[in-house]
Amino acid sequence: MATADKEKKLKEGWEGISRFFRANSLWMLMYCTGCCAIELPQAMTSRYDMERLGMGPMATPRQADVLLVTGYLSVKTLRRVIYAYEQMSTPKYIVAFGPCTINGGIYHDAATVIKSLDQYLPIDVYIAGCMPKPEAVMNGFQDLIDMIKDKTADGWKRYRDNYDWYKQNQIESLGELRIKDEYHE
Amino acid sequence: MSKINMQLKELTENVGKSYSVLQVDYPTPNQAALDFQPGDVHAVLAYLKGQGFRQMSLLSCVDWIEDGQFQLVYLLFNWEAGLRLQVRTRIDRANPVFTTVTGIYPGAKYYERDVHEFFGVEFNGNPDSSKPLFLENWDDMPPMRKDFDPQAYSDRKYKAREYKTDFNTKAGEGQ
Amino acid sequence: MVINQLPLQILTGLAILAFAFFWQTSLSGITRKIVARYHKRYGPKWYQEFRDIFKLMSKTGVTHGWVYDFGVMMALGGIMATVMFMPLMKFTAFPGFDNFFIYVYLFAVGMLGMAMSAVGSGNPLAGIGVMRALTQMVGYEVPFMIVVLAIINGHGTSSLSQLAAIQQQAGVLSWNLVKMPIGTVAAFICLLGMLGKKPFETFIAPAEIASGPMVEYGGKQLGMLMILHQFSIFIEVSLFMNLFLGGAANPLGFALKYMAVYVLASLISQAMGRFKIDQVIKFFYKIPIALAILQAVMVVYLGWGV
Repeated sequence: MATADKEKKLKEGWEGISRFFRANSLWMLMYCTGCCAIELPQAMTSRYDMERLGMGPMATPRQADVLLVTGYLSVKTLRRVIYAYEQMSTPKYIVAFGPCTINGGIYHDAATVIKSLDQYLPIDVYIAGCMPKPEAVMNGFQDLIDMIKDKTADGWKRYRDNYDWYKQNQIESLGELRIKDEYHE
Repeated sequence: MSKINMQLKELTENVGKSYSVLQVDYPTPNQAALDFQPGDVHAVLAYLKGQGFRQMSLLSCVDWIEDGQFQLVYLLFNWEAGLRLQVRTRIDRANPVFTTVTGIYPGAKYYERDVHEFFGVEFNGNPDSSKPLFLENWDDMPPMRKDFDPQAYSDRKYKAREYKTDFNTKAGEGQ
Repeated sequence: MVINQLPLQILTGLAILAFAFFWQTSLSGITRKIVARYHKRYGPKWYQEFRDIFKLMSKTGVTHGWVYDFGVMMALGGIMATVMFMPLMKFTAFPGFDNFFIYVYLFAVGMLGMAMSAVGSGNPLAGIGVMRALTQMVGYEVPFMIVVLAIINGHGTSSLSQLAAIQQQAGVLSWNLVKMPIGTVAAFICLLGMLGKKPFETFIAPAEIASGPMVEYGGKQLGMLMILHQFSIFIEVSLFMNLFLGGAANPLGFALKYMAVYVLASLISQAMGRFKIDQVIKFFYKIPIALAILQAVMVVYLGWGV
């Protein structure tokens, strides 16, 4: 009993230390198919300087911690986003930009654009605004950092626990998840 | 109207001598739009390719739903003279079949797939034309036709966010 | 100070290892801050690199087969062994084993492990990256070796600590930087190539081949790779210091010289674009090799600067 207690405490202590490092070193994977991506250069360069929060761009999903979905996703791009998200190593977070990821935004009646991203992937932070200003983007990242510190950024745990529900939604809208076209045969 | 390119004017007149041009229009000084019968299009394109219009920039399509017709628009470009040409023809909307131009412009292969996917026009002689190009998991009529309802398709296909209404406006409020 | 007992030697080696890690990782953070000021930004904290490494170590790692895992271990082991042989100020863990060629060979073990692991991940971009890294190595090794062989010929020894001691005899004037300035310039250009700083960043190229060899790394393996990266920078910069800047007699001198070399390389990197791989080879086989041969002729045949 005592040893189990001690182990639990040790694990919690380690988790706490890890959270401190995770919160202050977020590497981003930018999925820039939407228009909100145009706000990221300002947030990254000298005016708002994202690097002071320890954030930086990364080249591949494997290296990254945060997936930035900047705007609308069509059926074709959603399939690739799911691929990218599942390649990332846990813990991983998603920040969704703009109304298109919330309820479809100006694309609510488009035949090939999905409406609500949280049906398919777990979102940790939404940044509202069409497009969000760089201040809003920085504020969203600060929120994400605070959420990681107080353990509420648990999207990757929700995805793991409700995997069947997410998979079912994905298959309903996408048919099957495999990328199937003449270039992947 | 600014001055129309003399070379272009001469060219359209030459085309008019050998083929029956239904209508000539000049949208810009270096661009002409010529309408033809569907049967003439291939001969005209082959002739124009010999006149320096080496590039087919785009094959587009317009849905004239009230006339019951699709209009195919071939955009050609002449790199030496900097001239553009639209070769247009109208086909029946109820039975949209046309013959491929890949024999003249091989690059038309992908544009024909594009038009087939978005308008449902069949291109005889292009074996790839019915392969999907952009759309994935599509199960409705071609989406760029005017009688397609994207809102209904979107509602049927993609889950929308459910909202809780926690505030109801009284009559006259919030107008 | 010469240490003879084996346990003490190993302890000294570990101390050198710890010093190398903490000093180089802090310096990476400081350099990021300096570069940020250069961009008129605020920049990260000086200990940002430590946070990055520990965060990566706390993440889950995905494996791509045993070659991939083993390659990372082999690379890290090879590089750590190389660091332990490095003469640091007057400490040498293994006296008599600080011949220049030991570093050349031991360093190759690390690079080989890295190449093996990257190719083992199965991603074509990693293969391209490794190929470019090895091609670039062919480019910078030749002029660098010509300069170093000239130094060895001129001073009559290939032991790093002895080369450093010779340069410390008459203060700044006996440094190879002063005695062989042309060779130093050539070697510094080669150092930029070794560090992968920007005109020679071809094998990383994040926007082009998605960070090359590192494309499939994530979590713990990427963390190990970052530690490896810090150690290999330490070896390269220390080699340059010992060969051209007279090594170091005291900790402060070491820290200052090391910082000057690394920050200068980083600042040059910020003002440069990226070469293509064929341009890298053409460049190395034109300018640095010409300078290196000129210096070698001056040292070996004319006896200048010895």
